[in-house]
Amino acid sequence: MVNKLNKHNKRAQMKTSFSAKPKNRSATFSLSTKRAQMKTGFHQGQKLHGNFSLNAKRAQMKIQQISFLLIVVFLFFALLGIIFLSYYLKNVKDKANEIEEKNAHLLVSKIANSPEFSCGLAYGSSEKTDCVDGDKVMALKENIGKYSEFWGIKSIEILKIYPAGPNRECTNLTYPRCSSIKLIDSSSLGNSASNFVALCRKENYKGEIIDKCELAKLIIRYEEIN
Amino acid sequence: MNKKNKKGALEFSFSWIFAMVVGAFILFMTIFAIIKLMDTFNQERGAETAKNIGALLNPLESGFESATKSIIKTQIETRIYPDCVVGGGSNDYFGKQTIRISEKTSSNKWGDIGITTSIQNKYIFSENYVEGKNFYIYSKSFDFPFKVGDLLYLTSNSSSYCFIDAPERIEDEIENSLNAPNILFEDCPQESIRVCFSTSANCDVIVKENQKSVRKNGETVYYEGDVLMYAAIFSSKEIYECQLLRLMKRAEQLSITYQKKSDFLYEEVGCLPEISTDLISLRQKERTLESSADLVSLVSSVDTIEIKNTNMECRLW
Repeated sequence: MVNKLNKHNKRAQMKTSFSAKPKNRSATFSLSTKRAQMKTGFHQGQKLHGNFSLNAKRAQMKIQQISFLLIVVFLFFALLGIIFLSYYLKNVKDKANEIEEKNAHLLVSKIANSPEFSCGLAYGSSEKTDCVDGDKVMALKENIGKYSEFWGIKSIEILKIYPAGPNRECTNLTYPRCSSIKLIDSSSLGNSASNFVALCRKENYKGEIIDKCELAKLIIRYEEIN
Repeated sequence: MNKKNKKGALEFSFSWIFAMVVGAFILFMTIFAIIKLMDTFNQERGAETAKNIGALLNPLESGFESATKSIIKTQIETRIYPDCVVGGGSNDYFGKQTIRISEKTSSNKWGDIGITTSIQNKYIFSENYVEGKNFYIYSKSFDFPFKVGDLLYLTSNSSSYCFIDAPERIEDEIENSLNAPNILFEDCPQESIRVCFSTSANCDVIVKENQKSVRKNGETVYYEGDVLMYAAIFSSKEIYECQLLRLMKRAEQLSITYQKKSDFLYEEVGCLPEISTDLISLRQKERTLESSADLVSLVSSVDTIEIKNTNMECRLW
């Protein structure tokens, strides 16, 4: 009878692929059976004792099987969730970058008309579009601190293209004999958008005050979300 | 035999109970995650629309034109919640224009309001929220006396304005320059917002041109010039007053810039700094402005500077 029971146990072990040693398992099994016997006061013969232990063991196996299955299912769905979330986050980042790019291109085409840059009627009786007042921008450069977040971009640079001036940055000392006016210079690289503008200023030419306009490129840099 | 069956039934039912408890927990977690994800999707869509609207406002920066119009169309019924923050800190000295979006869900209810998008260089004048599928944005340049910014008036196809006894210049501008489809002068629908310029019976908004005031919802705001008058008509008092303070902050900084430009032109080119001191005085007044009722105190300075600048050899703007 004991042999039969052991055979049954082994079959159950093979079924559930447990790797525990049979000897130990048998000992644990006997112990638990004894405990069960003590608890229930069941001492009515070997056959009944064996069946009860076997069923208890089966129930344990079943619970372990179900637990294992549920954990696997849970992990599977968790993995699917992680994959989905990473795809979703990438999609959000792409969209954010796309909007930033669109915003920068629309902004660069109109920023020259904003009051901080525009020529207004300072250079002629009619208003000009895409005309940047160089003298005003140099005055703005001295007071640029408060504008650091105003346009929502990283940097603004006006690069003189024609006629090409000395290749140096414009400061109070070098203006207008310079080639680039840097505003909100965050000194880090980013994506850029640019637009051609007329860069105008007043000049004293042989005692006469004249308007002088040159070709320049207005470059803005904006942040890329990684 | 009976005993055996009972034991088997116990074993079976316990396994099932165990599986059901854990299964229910997993199911609950999944449903919870899906609900949270749906909220996130809605918020993300709202934020995306708000960002897009912010970007689409850029082309409304006017050049030489006196007024411009733009239409924003949405696929589903949308509510735009524009708001204004006065600011004043180092990172938001000029305050902020915020935009939040809510969209109608498939169950015909308004969804959660999305994430706030902030823009510092825009000024939207509108009611506390505007809803519809087609949004009309009218833009006009605010010169005080130099250009300070472009004011954006946000309205939608779901509400129309009826201007009663409006002066001819306003009728001309709205019909010809703005070509506004939701601003009417005659044959007004019953539900339209009635804006009265001379009569005061059965009016939602009363414009008193002699007092330069606009009365709306029992509250009065003051304006200088048609650009601010439109702003007062189309917006709530809170938004109008807040945007006016933001505009004054920008005007104050522009006064500093023009004063520096004037000094620079005097030193480098030889142009006389005729309005340098006037700009300092204007700057002080702009800084101390607290509400639209104080606008009148700036008018004389603005007019003087405007005249002087027009007659200067080196115009500053």
